[in-house]
Amino acid sequence: MEESCGSAVKPAVEATGVSLAYRHNRNRAGTIKGFAIDVVKGKTASEEVWALKDVNFSLSSGEVLGVIGRNGAGKSTLMKIVARVLPPTEGRIVVRGAVAPMIELGAGFNTEMSARENIVLYGTLLGRTPVQMRERVANILDWAELNEFVDVPIRTYSSGMLARLGFAVATDIEPDVLVIDEVLSVGDASFQLKSKERMIQLIDSGAAVLFVSHDLDAVEEVSDRVLWLDRGHTVMMGDPKEVVQAYVGSV
Amino acid sequence: MTSTYVYDSDQSRRPIVTELTNIWVYRGLLRLLVTRDLTVRYKRSTLGVWWTLLNPLLTMSVFWVVFSQVFRFEIPGVPFVVYLLSGIVFITFFAQGVIATGSSIVNSASVLSKVYVPAEVFSVAAAVAALVNFTISLLPLLVIQLFTGVGIPWTVILVPIPAFFLLLLVAGLGLLVASAAVFFYDVLDLTAVGVQLISYLTPTFYPITMIPDHFRWIIQANPLYSYLTVFRGFVYEGAFAPTWNFVMMIASAIVVLLLGVWVFTRSWKNLVVVL
Repeated sequence: MEESCGSAVKPAVEATGVSLAYRHNRNRAGTIKGFAIDVVKGKTASEEVWALKDVNFSLSSGEVLGVIGRNGAGKSTLMKIVARVLPPTEGRIVVRGAVAPMIELGAGFNTEMSARENIVLYGTLLGRTPVQMRERVANILDWAELNEFVDVPIRTYSSGMLARLGFAVATDIEPDVLVIDEVLSVGDASFQLKSKERMIQLIDSGAAVLFVSHDLDAVEEVSDRVLWLDRGHTVMMGDPKEVVQAYVGSV
Repeated sequence: MTSTYVYDSDQSRRPIVTELTNIWVYRGLLRLLVTRDLTVRYKRSTLGVWWTLLNPLLTMSVFWVVFSQVFRFEIPGVPFVVYLLSGIVFITFFAQGVIATGSSIVNSASVLSKVYVPAEVFSVAAAVAALVNFTISLLPLLVIQLFTGVGIPWTVILVPIPAFFLLLLVAGLGLLVASAAVFFYDVLDLTAVGVQLISYLTPTFYPITMIPDHFRWIIQANPLYSYLTVFRGFVYEGAFAPTWNFVMMIASAIVVLLLGVWVFTRSWKNLVVVL
């Protein structure tokens, strides 16, 4: 805590010239056999595809940056770079604090295990210790309203129940940086409302949020600034209303 | 606690040291993954973890019928079942370990492409799970040693030595396979064939004396032969294997592990991008 107080000026997320290239092999079969055939045919040349090119922004605690753009604009790639999953090919990303990547919630779930076991495993994947997670199990189940289904394997869960569980664990770790990629569109109306409340709570308590969504109304409503990406490039960044309007005008 | 944590992409070059400290930092996760590997496999079966004990016994029975009753193999100085079962539990550790570690990264792709976790934790967990399975399967072996009158020599407390070096070998080979499997999926199929070949080149169910003198070096050049000789010496013979077996065992384990870690750290940056 001392650190974050003393360096209150330092933003939670800083992206400078962040770029990411996927090396894309046109004839790539993904097997040695396929590779050998490619070599024989002389088709091993791979081409680089830049999913992101020179993206710059900084995000302070308690701030929400909305990210919009068409499919394939590089939004999810940017989320993954902030979440530390993908290292940038060029440029630099600095993230101060714990990150909760809410990209496809429950990616670490094992369907044969119970909710209890999954909470501990998923939380540990997100950087907590098993001991901390075991203490949180009851709280998380309460919030997700899954108390009656604690010890059954989660393969019996509905997709809505899984989403609730994933969201509950990811937000329970009280992250400093929250990366949200289109996850609030899952679940029923009451869950959406509840998760929105939880998010606002986290923002109020000082979390920096990166929010990706195709729901432009929601983006305009919750964001302090909006970043518009197109084919990996920054088109515009600034006031939510202006950016969203410009984006709508371009479509 | 975590609020002072800073991630800076410029400073994450990950030398081998980072690789090792990651295992320590993520030891809680490692433990969970090992337990998951051990329990989930048998979760839907009635016998559950008992399969770990039953599997080597069943395999042993088949081999015993074929090679002891049909082909009349005999090992001087020790009941054939003991020779056979010690070979089977040993080679199972190797084969299962390499395949599980090798497929660990591909199998955890869905997690690794969404949450930041050092990938090697998954590989090490697979190798350790194989070690735990091996340890459990020593139980039926020791019981059979008692029943057949071979007894349990004091050297049994030294069994962790060959087990440890085999773990290093398995982890090293597994990391090599795991790095390659991300780029070429059929590496895993090739590995299965390779592992089977090496297993047959290891005297698990046949006596080494059966091999003609001028071909015997092929078996002896296989590092696994040395591990197995050391292991059998400790577990039922109550004897130390020749020194060259120890040298071969330790040297091969260290070389393969370093090679595996080196290749893995060099390819990690591309790993997730490809996943």
